[in-house]
Amino acid sequence: MKKIMIIMLALITMLTISACTNDPTDRITIDFWHMAPIGSEAFTPTKQLINAFNESQDTYFVKGTGFSFWDYWDKIAVAISSRTAPDIGLSTLDDVPARASSGVLYNISELIAADPDGIEIDQLYQNQLDFATYQNNLYALPFTATTRVLYYNLDMFQAAGLTEADVPHTWSELKTVAKKLDVVSNGVIQQLGFDPSYGNATYHGWLWQAGLDFFDAELNPTLNTQKHIDILYWIKDFNSEFTRNQLVAFGDANTMLGINPFASERVAMMVETDGLYEIIKNANADFNFGVSYIPIPDEDGIRVNWGSGFSIEMYDNGKNETDQKQGAWEFLKYLMSYNIQLSLAEANGWIMAHKGAMTKFAEDDPILQRMLEEVAYAKDKVYVPYAPSWHGNDWQSYYTAALSGAKTVEMALQDARNNYLQKRDNYNATR
Amino acid sequence: MSKSSSIKKLKKQENFIGYLFASPWITGLILLGIFPILMSLFISFTNYNMISDPKFIGFENYRILFTNDNLFWQSLGNTVYHVIIAVPLGIVVGLSLAFLLNNKIKGMGIYRTLFYLPNVVSVVAMSLLWLWLYQPNFGLINQLLKPLYDLLKMEPITWYLDPKLSKLTLILMGLWTAGGSMVIYLAQMQDIPVSLYEAAEMDGAGWFKKATLITLPLMTPSIFFNFIMGLIGSFQVFTMAYIMTSGGPSRSTYYYAYYLFDKMMADKAMGMASAMAWILLFIVLIITILALRLNKYVFYLGDET
Amino acid sequence: MVKSEVYKSKKRRQLIVHIILHIVLVLCSLVFVFPFLWMLFTALKTPAELLRGIQQFFPTVPQWQNFVKAITSIPFFMYLKNSLIVVILVVIGTTFSATTAAYAFARLNWKGRDKWFVIMLATMMLPIQVILIPTYILYSKIGWLGTRLPLIVPAFFGGGAAFYIFLLRQFFKGIPKELSESAIIDGANHWQIFIKIMLPLSKPAIVTVALFTFMGSWNDYFGPLIFLSNPDHWTLALGLRAFQTQYGGQYNLMMAASILIMMPTLILFFLAQRTFIEGIKFTGIKG
Repeated sequence: MKKIMIIMLALITMLTISACTNDPTDRITIDFWHMAPIGSEAFTPTKQLINAFNESQDTYFVKGTGFSFWDYWDKIAVAISSRTAPDIGLSTLDDVPARASSGVLYNISELIAADPDGIEIDQLYQNQLDFATYQNNLYALPFTATTRVLYYNLDMFQAAGLTEADVPHTWSELKTVAKKLDVVSNGVIQQLGFDPSYGNATYHGWLWQAGLDFFDAELNPTLNTQKHIDILYWIKDFNSEFTRNQLVAFGDANTMLGINPFASERVAMMVETDGLYEIIKNANADFNFGVSYIPIPDEDGIRVNWGSGFSIEMYDNGKNETDQKQGAWEFLKYLMSYNIQLSLAEANGWIMAHKGAMTKFAEDDPILQRMLEEVAYAKDKVYVPYAPSWHGNDWQSYYTAALSGAKTVEMALQDARNNYLQKRDNYNATR
Repeated sequence: MSKSSSIKKLKKQENFIGYLFASPWITGLILLGIFPILMSLFISFTNYNMISDPKFIGFENYRILFTNDNLFWQSLGNTVYHVIIAVPLGIVVGLSLAFLLNNKIKGMGIYRTLFYLPNVVSVVAMSLLWLWLYQPNFGLINQLLKPLYDLLKMEPITWYLDPKLSKLTLILMGLWTAGGSMVIYLAQMQDIPVSLYEAAEMDGAGWFKKATLITLPLMTPSIFFNFIMGLIGSFQVFTMAYIMTSGGPSRSTYYYAYYLFDKMMADKAMGMASAMAWILLFIVLIITILALRLNKYVFYLGDET
Repeated sequence: MVKSEVYKSKKRRQLIVHIILHIVLVLCSLVFVFPFLWMLFTALKTPAELLRGIQQFFPTVPQWQNFVKAITSIPFFMYLKNSLIVVILVVIGTTFSATTAAYAFARLNWKGRDKWFVIMLATMMLPIQVILIPTYILYSKIGWLGTRLPLIVPAFFGGGAAFYIFLLRQFFKGIPKELSESAIIDGANHWQIFIKIMLPLSKPAIVTVALFTFMGSWNDYFGPLIFLSNPDHWTLALGLRAFQTQYGGQYNLMMAASILIMMPTLILFFLAQRTFIEGIKFTGIKG
């Protein structure tokens, strides 16, 4: 036992000492966190970009650390709250103001003012910049963009005697075409044309197309108009010839486990993010498909889709690290430049925020070109402090209850609204 | 020197030695454990979004949870349902496996290892497998049951997609890892003195009598252990619901720990999440203290004189 | 003559029982082996086959090179070394702190013992999410960030050991008191009783604790994710997460690597379960 204790103590001491060795460089180290961990496909190209920056100058040394997308958020959340965040890192665009108001982000507008040619602001989407703005100042920059489009399976179209010219653009066309693509045998769904609740189509996405939303300008929940009710009925009754159980079971998807009904060729048309294109492309799937904008209501329809993106931000850990701040800024400029945005798009399969770079990147890719078109029509969800997850957790159970008939559409909407009101009261009570 | 004074001295010594033996753990608790624990207690009385500094608001979080939060009660109800079914079921299955695997036959080591396999497999692999089995449309189970469905002219069971069955489906899936408690039972079975069985055999006792009169009573320490740990663990159940059902359908698998996690990660309301954690601690502590009374039915060989 | 007849029939009965047992065991094993087979077949699939998700069970052409790819696309041996450093120390530390504390709870009378026992149980009742940030802040204040210490040192001080302390206490309480009492009469002190009587007699329980600790530490990715800030210290469990990318990811590689990293656990389990066979004979017990 004593021997073991001695060995243990020796080991611990060794570990402590070995942990204290630093980078063998007298440059200023800049910590950069990203989502391309060692072993992921994006790792090598990301590393090359960082190395190129390090070789281009001799003042700063950028140390990149990649985490899996599923782990990144826990890691950065803990780091921000303990003021040990990296000098520069990625986050979500829609809640930048929440961080900016707490003073953990450096003011990017100030940096731009001192260095006006650093960033090609006009190459970034205005709707994205708005989300990165807090009290008229930028506290982050949009890094990537996402968008939602209608994917259609051309092989299934062909089998049903349809061509690309039949791709629907309005809700009524959508229904007509979808029905032609249903395949049923013995009452069991074999193939489904379309369902408005599948994939990444959302209730708020359909609402936006009709000029509606969950909240008014003062962030009070709405959801109580006849139009809200009608649209939810439209979703619910789209495939009324099938039971909800059948539909739910057939469209079962799981992002975390990589299960998608369009990718596995079960549904002919589905609303999904640009990420699905990446999945299908990487997997060398052997079916033909195309993308188009999401069909809009026949009257007064608005062409809009839900798009979001990652932000890139510089973290202020309250330690007055001016050198690190300057270094992170230099690296930020580098990351946002045309060439690097182009390389990043290639490495990660992301749509990057830089318009010019993306136009170049999509040159030979008609599908990507169409998705880029839709990025211009993308709109992000509003950040509601009392219900940051209003579209997800807070809404989902009412949505499923309405679709399954557990609650009437009217009741589900009213209950959801009451839930937001309750959350708002509770939020205000803890101010 | 009287006898009683020497016993007193012995007791005093034992007091010191007791603390000495417990000291690594107690030191760790005081130096490394107390600060985070008390900090979370403090945070439960604040409004804290994990970015700005916590702001003290008294009992407000607790008041809201108890009086103005339907999900709090719903998730607690779901969790209690899970605990009531999963804990006893887990004990029965674990014990049965242990009995089955405590025989001296060829290849027992292989069997035990195979039974233990699900405990080693990654959660994601398990989840994918469960989908493959239970998925209402393509899953193996429904494919196998199809003739039955046709015969009875009923709609296929939708397992985890049915609000009424989702919790039971998850519990059923959880039983796959009963190999963990099985190991503990197996270890305890080895502690039962062979002489007791020999004596019983001489009295003509069969397998069943030996199992119920010797094995089971002497297994009570580990049954008790698995019961208490099952309680504590089941009240915090959440991983499977997170991956498999996202708490649905209709919040039927939205467990307490899931809600707590959402309060923290989705709502950024760490103060509220901490209050939930302390309420949970309080609930489980009371139940555990009640359950500890069962200790008097636990048969410890070491207590016999 | 009669005796051998009885013996024969007893032998035959035993044979039948054994055959039935084997059948039951094989059937049950199938159920438990399933997840593993699923992993194996997923590991051998092509990306296009992965897309079909749960609609396809068998790979068309087994892609054995996925195993090679999984190992070579991450610094497998660096991660392995890191895992071993952490796991070995954690197993030693936890076994040490858990056995000593369990002895105190099971066999010694000290003031406040039962209160401490309840406190110990209570430490398991607080969901770890809410103490994560305070713990992280504590470690950063004492300068442990950037080292492996947050993963190792607590183990020596009973951090995360409450489960094992309770488990061992249950086993220690099952060891007849006569043994330790006679040792005291022979002049042994508590440390000697602990080392010479308690530990050897609780071998199955201690092996169980060591096994569980090994598994817990070996498979834990969350602790390393939060508390390790130097990627050169990353462990296998954390390193493997790289295959789980935003859009489903490289599940085939992840499963291949997962199979490789679960092998040590399986082998250890196979070795450990052998201690569950002998059955300990208490010499001190009078019949």
